[in-house]
Amino acid sequence: MTPRGGLLVLLALAAAAAAEDSPEEQARRLLENGRTYLARGQPKQALENFSIIVQSFSRTEVVGQALLEIGRYRKEVEGDAEKARAAFEQVAKEYPRSEAAPGAYFQLGLLTLDRAASTAELDDALAQFARVETLYPHSEWVPPALQASAVAHRRAGRLQEAVDLSRRVSLEYPASAAAAAAQFEAGQALALLGEPRPAMEEFQQVRNRFPESPWASRALERLTALYRLYGGPRPTFGLDSGFGLVAGDILKDVCALAVAPDGKLWVASEKSRSAVPFDASGKPGAGFSAEHPQALSVSPRGEIVFAARTAVRVGPRDVRGFSIPAGKPGEPPEPLDRILAAAVTPGGWILVSDEKREKVFRFSGTGEFRGTFPERDAAKRKVVRIVVDGEGGIVLLDREERIVRVHDEAGRPLRAVGPAGLRKPVDVAVDAFRNTYVADEEAGVQVFGAQGQPLTTITSPELRRPRALALDATGAVLVYDEKAERLMRYR
Amino acid sequence: MLRGGGWRESRGWTGRLLVLLALGALGAGPAAAWTQEAPAEVPEVVQREMQTAQDALARAVAEFEGQQQSRSIVLFDEIITRMETLARAQPLSPRGRDLLVQAYEYRARAYFGIGLQEKASENFRLLIQLKPEHALSKETVSPKIVDLFGAVKKVLVGYLAVSSRPAGARVTLVGTGGSRRELGLTDFFPLEVLAGEYTVEVAREGYRTESRAVSIAPRATESLPFELVRTLASAFFLTEPAGVEIWVDGDLRATSAGALAPDLMEPMRAKGVDPARASARTEVANLSLGSHALEFRKKCHETVRQTVATEVAQDYEVEPVRLEESLASLRLTSDPPGARIFINGEARGVTPAQIDAICSGKVRVEVKHAAGKYIKDLVLGKDEATSLDCPIRPTLAFLGVEAASPAAQGSRTDAEERIHQNLSRLTSLNFITAPREAVDRIFEQEKLTRAGLLPGQGADPDVVRRVTNRLAAALEVQGFLIGVLQEERLQQKARLYVLAAGSTSAEPADVVFNESASYAPLLDKLDFSFAPVRPWSGLITVDTLLHPGPVVLRFVPGSPAASAGIQPGEIVVAADGHPIKQTAELLAVVVRKKPKEKLALRLQGASGERTVDLVLGESPREVPLHDPGLLYNKAMMDLRATVDGYPGTEPAAYARLNLALCALHFQDYAGAHEYLQQAKAELPQRPGLSQGTALYYIGLALERLNYRPQAREAYRAAAAAKDATVIDNDGPAVASLAARRAGP
Repeated sequence: MTPRGGLLVLLALAAAAAAEDSPEEQARRLLENGRTYLARGQPKQALENFSIIVQSFSRTEVVGQALLEIGRYRKEVEGDAEKARAAFEQVAKEYPRSEAAPGAYFQLGLLTLDRAASTAELDDALAQFARVETLYPHSEWVPPALQASAVAHRRAGRLQEAVDLSRRVSLEYPASAAAAAAQFEAGQALALLGEPRPAMEEFQQVRNRFPESPWASRALERLTALYRLYGGPRPTFGLDSGFGLVAGDILKDVCALAVAPDGKLWVASEKSRSAVPFDASGKPGAGFSAEHPQALSVSPRGEIVFAARTAVRVGPRDVRGFSIPAGKPGEPPEPLDRILAAAVTPGGWILVSDEKREKVFRFSGTGEFRGTFPERDAAKRKVVRIVVDGEGGIVLLDREERIVRVHDEAGRPLRAVGPAGLRKPVDVAVDAFRNTYVADEEAGVQVFGAQGQPLTTITSPELRRPRALALDATGAVLVYDEKAERLMRYR
Repeated sequence: MLRGGGWRESRGWTGRLLVLLALGALGAGPAAAWTQEAPAEVPEVVQREMQTAQDALARAVAEFEGQQQSRSIVLFDEIITRMETLARAQPLSPRGRDLLVQAYEYRARAYFGIGLQEKASENFRLLIQLKPEHALSKETVSPKIVDLFGAVKKVLVGYLAVSSRPAGARVTLVGTGGSRRELGLTDFFPLEVLAGEYTVEVAREGYRTESRAVSIAPRATESLPFELVRTLASAFFLTEPAGVEIWVDGDLRATSAGALAPDLMEPMRAKGVDPARASARTEVANLSLGSHALEFRKKCHETVRQTVATEVAQDYEVEPVRLEESLASLRLTSDPPGARIFINGEARGVTPAQIDAICSGKVRVEVKHAAGKYIKDLVLGKDEATSLDCPIRPTLAFLGVEAASPAAQGSRTDAEERIHQNLSRLTSLNFITAPREAVDRIFEQEKLTRAGLLPGQGADPDVVRRVTNRLAAALEVQGFLIGVLQEERLQQKARLYVLAAGSTSAEPADVVFNESASYAPLLDKLDFSFAPVRPWSGLITVDTLLHPGPVVLRFVPGSPAASAGIQPGEIVVAADGHPIKQTAELLAVVVRKKPKEKLALRLQGASGERTVDLVLGESPREVPLHDPGLLYNKAMMDLRATVDGYPGTEPAAYARLNLALCALHFQDYAGAHEYLQQAKAELPQRPGLSQGTALYYIGLALERLNYRPQAREAYRAAAAAKDATVIDNDGPAVASLAARRAGP
């Protein structure tokens, strides 16, 4: 315990003695104050409160809840999944009858879900969530557990289950904090099921029933995207003549675009040898420098992944080079110095496309080489773009084969687009509904449905040679035209 | 005079007599020869003494009639001593006097039987002094004793006859000691009285009381005539109709009755009075001299006011008084109809009804229905015809306040008063205080307390449901309010619980019971009525960033939007003149309207702008399963009003569905299941909220009750209802929800 913590213990005990409160009341007050600290964005102070409860009030009824909060701190603030798991497991095992126990199972399920890369792991997460409803049917944790189960089903491809579970939450627990997310989830699953109109109705219900929730504005973005694609007989994209970005050299030799979750548009330019973010008003922010920038993508945690020829930056702090084992034993590892693209997978792997070897390699989060992606892929591939879609699909644009392949985390092929319809693909993006957008130097932007079927082609007289492509949250297409040296938006 | 016999100790005396002695006159003086008026209330100890004496007398008489008559003397001695002692303490009651008289008689006869004639005579003397008019039965008593009695009486008793003009005066004989004896009403034949000096008082109401001294000698007869002098007047009345109350100077003095005497018929007819309806001549006597205000009142007639002057003490004949009928009529309708009508507590049919011949004046109209009641106080004028619409409102009965601690007990009465005062401000409910005894009786039979109905008391939900239903039926109410005084000392906080009939969970609301403002949130919730239907367009719109307003995605087939020809892809830019930027704004306009009202929509489409008038329909809607702003018990009261008010109708079926949802909210799955089974039988099979909706929720309830096979069966049936929805007619389809839960 820190000195401060010890002082807090003494103060807490003294105050309690003065007030003649029972240990139960003292512990409860510490818990409430800790939660207040959390709400105010003071997690460290909150942690101290919770720690005092565990150390000094271990016989009270709130110790389970204190442990639960400690586990959440480990997970959400420290990012230490193992310590978080230990805390949650302690609650579930030692305090099964406490109010915190269902919360512990829920959190254990979330930990599993966050890292799940296979159907088996998703089912493990489902089992944890199912315990909440089975063992604690009247707990307030049931709706979020059901809603998380819906997410797990969706990620496992069981979309109808996801819809039904989500609807259950929004119908049976409309006052729960999970209800808005559940209704949104139902819309998303319906869209992925290829039912865009029911999906739109579901998203609209999020706005009608939960107008103050943050999901309401997200639903508006999805509605916009869906309506544009499916509202009429054909998808319609029109050039947004009101859109313009004036940025000097940054808009010369643009090689990649990406839209971050915060809405900022990142532009990577060979001319400026940097990647720079622009806010909604067009004002540039602090970016990253790199020699020979190649590609941009967004990690599952929302960080910009900036691939340059010899290194990859993940977020503001993590810049690294990558090496693969030498072909012959005893030789030093070979650095990758002709990187074309890079991305971070939901499982935390870093995929790097190497031009020299014409392969995509996989590395652990700490940079350890793990082989090719897909595994044991003998073919040579010139993958110029790697993106991860919202459903965890890993999208690889093979420029030479003129094909876009989508794999799951394990490398299993899910779908492919092209080569039919593609002439000189240079960039790829995937929207929230698994529709694939391919910037083609000679054919504008081709849009393909989730099954690979062509939907539409975005073109206009202004679009002469697309070079880079990104999608914003509303599904509007941002395209950089190399000839005009201009960034355009089609909405 | 009675011979003072002192006190004779007797076996069997109890301390009670000592109490009497302490209360009454002590001393060795004789008991009063005459009894004074017995006190109006005979103390219990005296009654017990009487009963003891009565029983002893029966034993003594039995002994007297037995073989050894003389043995009874001792018993009679005891009885006489008891009664004489009582008489010294307070005047004997007539029953006590009779007991003593009988005891004297039997003792005298017993003494005579053993040859002690002197003692027998002494007893007869005591008897006659007590009751001069006493006579022995010649059938049962030997002639010798009768003769002896007569001889004793002759020397003690004289005769008094009193007459008066007018007769009917009360005669009182006042002895020299102040004792009084009522002799009766004039005129009477000579009565036996003890010889002596007296004052005779003759009194008759309305006449001056006369008194005269008289000396009555043994065997002599005194006759006293009295001429009474009138001091008050009388007035004689005839009314048409009969049965009229005659009020004089604010006091009710008589009610005319009977029928007119034949000899008066013609004279009355000549005065315009209907002899067949007129009353008999009715006297109001004893009117003081002067002027008097008269009122003639009869129900359903106009009151007549007059004055009569009685300057002289004589009879006055007042002119016949005719009262005109004063009636009004009411036309009553209620929602729902078929409510029982009570006018001033009298049953007068069911609504809708035309009620004639209602007495004018203050009228209390009560219209009672299983769904609730309506109460109104009116003043109706003569010949007034009024229409009254009586919306039936549920009634909330206040069961009182429980104190959480002895410290709070002192505030209970004040709290009850304040709570009643504030809750009487409700506009959508009747609020009454439940009769405590009726409520206590039911709680006693159910072995429950008021607190037992509240959450956290561990009562079985089935018991709570049963008791609330029973209370509701007994009190004819639909819901209950129970207050609990908190232990809080500084502020006077009370927690009020609302509990509907048939509910299993009361909902709390905290107030500071003497602060009216603190009741506002609860009153608002209680006055809020969940609207089971909403105006419906059938238009499904979505918001996008691509359009200036919500764009039409589709319309529900057969809906008002379909009938209005609105097309998918059109954009709503205004509704009823209000600019519309998003769906929520459109819905806000619609919700403020009523079904069948028009909604003017301005639409933008491929061919430009156009305006469409859409006639709104009606969609049933579900109570949300968990809405923190809704008072579910109040919703249940309103819903039951619909079920009871419109049985067998579609609104009632939807109300049952919603009652089930309220029960689900309270996790009363058994109650929900019951409602749903009824709803399922009554709901239509059609798109929207319908039978399939009920089937889905039946599955839900069965699942929660752990009847899993039955739940799956219900879900399968729900899955077959292809167009059934939840929430409302535009809501999500039941089929896919149910199919998933039914499993493979």
